[in-house]
Amino acid sequence: MISDRLKNIICKELNLDPASIEITDETQAPEVPGWDSLNHANIIVAIEKDYGVRFKGLEVLKCNNVGALQRLVDSKTAK
Amino acid sequence: MLGIDFNAIPKLFLFDSSDPLLFGSSLFFFLFLGLLILNRIVAKSTNARISLLILFSFYFYYKASGLFLLLLILNAVINFYLGKYLGKAESEGKQKLYLYLSLLFNLGILIYFKYTNFFIEVINDFTAGNIQPLDIILPLGISFYTFKSLSYILDIYLEMMEPTNSFRDYLLFVTFFPNILSGPIDRASQFLPQVNKKYFLTRKQVAMGIMLIMLGLIKKIMIADYISLNFIDRVFDAPERFTGVENLLAVYGYALQLYCDFSGYSDIAIGLGLLLGFRLMENFNYPFKAKSISEFWRRWHISLSSWLLDYVFRPLQMGLRNWRKAGNIIALIITFVLVGFWHGASWAFLFWGLLHGIYMAVGLLLQGPKRKLYSKFNFTKTKIFGGMQIFVTFNLVAFSFVFFRASDFSSAIDVFYQIIYFFKPSVFIQFAESFTPTFVLISLGFLFHFLPSKLNEKTVNWLANRNVILQAVIFALVIWIVAQVQSADLQPFIYFQF
Repeated sequence: MISDRLKNIICKELNLDPASIEITDETQAPEVPGWDSLNHANIIVAIEKDYGVRFKGLEVLKCNNVGALQRLVDSKTAK
Repeated sequence: MLGIDFNAIPKLFLFDSSDPLLFGSSLFFFLFLGLLILNRIVAKSTNARISLLILFSFYFYYKASGLFLLLLILNAVINFYLGKYLGKAESEGKQKLYLYLSLLFNLGILIYFKYTNFFIEVINDFTAGNIQPLDIILPLGISFYTFKSLSYILDIYLEMMEPTNSFRDYLLFVTFFPNILSGPIDRASQFLPQVNKKYFLTRKQVAMGIMLIMLGLIKKIMIADYISLNFIDRVFDAPERFTGVENLLAVYGYALQLYCDFSGYSDIAIGLGLLLGFRLMENFNYPFKAKSISEFWRRWHISLSSWLLDYVFRPLQMGLRNWRKAGNIIALIITFVLVGFWHGASWAFLFWGLLHGIYMAVGLLLQGPKRKLYSKFNFTKTKIFGGMQIFVTFNLVAFSFVFFRASDFSSAIDVFYQIIYFFKPSVFIQFAESFTPTFVLISLGFLFHFLPSKLNEKTVNWLANRNVILQAVIFALVIWIVAQVQSADLQPFIYFQF
């Protein structure tokens, strides 16, 4: 499950209305309007800031969908 | 009696660096037909079929590159085992060790063969030294198969795929003859799952395969070879002897030539793969329809650009993410300089890559202001505006290729000089009259490029629903027409040199 908090961060960074878009565990970046390779880094930085965590580059590169990103966030905040 | 020198026949099949098995040659078609028939006969046994394809691939590579075949096999052996150990390694340290060993092996060999002499030259230039260049012959396709193998190791490292247990499957992936010399740079994650599938082709797949081969031959022999021999080479050999208008047409023509040469090769490779039951990676998607440079790179040499995006740009960008825009820009410039350097060890290629990096960086910086401007005037929706974006992008690309084509910097500058100071638009009519076939072919080439891409799909469907005899007649007719236009010997594919 993608938390509302994560979804809102992504939507805010991409100027999207959270109500108008569905993001599931299997959603991949190119399926979300505006989430391209160039602003990918901005989204990651926004997530780190909001949760007050720091990812390793390799951890982020291993995420192949939003579900994996959510699990990464969860694993960092659980500590 | 028939005028056949039978003693010469065995020689035809042996290694000859000046005579690789070019896709357009009749010997290749004869052998490929034999392979298709054998492939069909042994289709029931996957083991026999895959072994047959590996043996044919060995022969194909040996014919073009001789004993470098052993290096290719060594590449497959080393990467197969490193991939296996990497997949089993549990600690991060061990994973890193196997990754670094693979990078050292693959890039070490690539750098030795491709870049040693360039580095010697650079050292000599800076130290006024006099180190003799080494006598190194570049193994054909090394840039392509090295990147194929690296994608396998990197995907295992990034946990995008599990290593394969079958050396046979991996060997076929590395040596598969349709893409060994010039790509597409396939990903193991997409190729390997296809190896053990049952060999079965639908009518539509057969039609698609044949259509791609025909299209590739037309692009390569009728357009690329003809316009280069008859016009473009002459201009680039001595730009100062031609007017600006001719130089401009040669620049536009060269963009078309390069596209037809390389995408023609890719079409044939994908078509051959399809007839053998493999779907290879898409490599081109009407690149000149792009409305921006970043879109161009999503449509041009896709297998290379997506490789560099995944394994170079993304890691760099992630590492530099706190620098925001500056981080993106540095990652872009490094990635594109590497794109240039991948093509060859020369300052011109480096500069060409750098130029595209700068294009991309400027595009990124202008993104915000452009968006505001466009929405304010509601530009984006008009067709004319879209056409203008395509025109500007095409010109940026075509002029960057001058550095790709020209023999050195000064002759590249000559091309620009002639266009700016010696344009003479009236020569255009003369050109169209005296170079009529070239002019017609260039125009037709661009016209076909800009037709709706759905047309392709429709043609394939139409072809799939004809009976076999009519299909064969059409195929033979295309080959006959291509042979009529073929100006001289088949020209080697431009991308072989990379």
